[in-house]
Amino acid sequence: MATPRDRVWEVFRQEAEGDPMIHGGSVNAPDEELATHYAREFYGRRQESERLWIVPRDAITELDDPDLLKPPFDRSFKRPGGFLIKHKLEAARERAGSPASDEVGE
Amino acid sequence: MTTLDATTREALAELLLAMADDEFVLGFWDSEWTGIAPILEEDVAMSSVSQDEIGHAKALYELLAGLTGGDADQIAFGRPADGYRHAALMNHARTDWAFSIARRFLYEHADAVRLESLATSAYQPLADLVIKMRREETYHILHFDLWLKRLAEGGDESHARLAAGIGRLWVDAQTVFAPLDGEACLVAARILPESLETLRSRWLERVRPRLAAADLPVPATHGLPGADGRTRRTDEFAWLHGEFTMVSGSEAEATW
Repeated sequence: MATPRDRVWEVFRQEAEGDPMIHGGSVNAPDEELATHYAREFYGRRQESERLWIVPRDAITELDDPDLLKPPFDRSFKRPGGFLIKHKLEAARERAGSPASDEVGE
Repeated sequence: MTTLDATTREALAELLLAMADDEFVLGFWDSEWTGIAPILEEDVAMSSVSQDEIGHAKALYELLAGLTGGDADQIAFGRPADGYRHAALMNHARTDWAFSIARRFLYEHADAVRLESLATSAYQPLADLVIKMRREETYHILHFDLWLKRLAEGGDESHARLAAGIGRLWVDAQTVFAPLDGEACLVAARILPESLETLRSRWLERVRPRLAAADLPVPATHGLPGADGRTRRTDEFAWLHGEFTMVSGSEAEATW
């Protein structure tokens, strides 16, 4: 149904003021104005959005190179979960005499 | 304004029915584009606009029912085809996409002028409703102004079809402002803050430059809209009436 002249526009929505913009989906439209109308129809006419960003897909720079994004060696120490502090925390709480309430770390 | 005398109430009922029928019938015509609009996105947009109009009709029928003691569904679906009071502009079948866009363009601007004026109506329930309706109509104007421009600039065929649609609808478009029997009474009570003829002049001032800017022929005005502007009915409308009353008419006493 979309004609070859149509462009694809990626639509991001914000559910409430202050929330992050989250990708909602995409629409086909020949120009920015109609893209705005269609984004509103698909992602904003039921009062579900505070704000929309409508971005031409060809304006997006994509990075999906696994050599850059998925390095082959174990780099788990770079993740915050790489350190096990749960038991150290429990011991510290015990010394301080406060109950262990929140689960922290892994 | 708390109470209305019988004459004023009758005049207000006539105005509400005219406006509700405009929105109701146009909503049904354009809902026919569901599934067959030029692209999927427009399919959703046109269907959504049509739903808006049916929604506005529902609110107006309910206001009318509250005023006259009737039932909104009964008013909407329970009348014979010649009992409807929409403008002759809505007598035509949807025809092709350019024709439907031409009608939407002419109607949306007429409706906008009418609603702007009624936003200050002395009948507060109507003013309140109109203020809500206008917020949805903002998008309708943007959308159909854009489509008029697109088709006008889209090439010889779309331009020709659009020009033909405007030409065919021009006389009937005036009938959105056809005089009402109780108009003088409504204007005196400031329920209708301005005469329909004043509103029609304002509409012409808005529509003409837009047509000229789109390089479309601007028809000369064909005099005043006749008193039968809201009572003339066509076979095309009789067919549509059969369609939209088919389910409600299948079991007249049913509770849905």
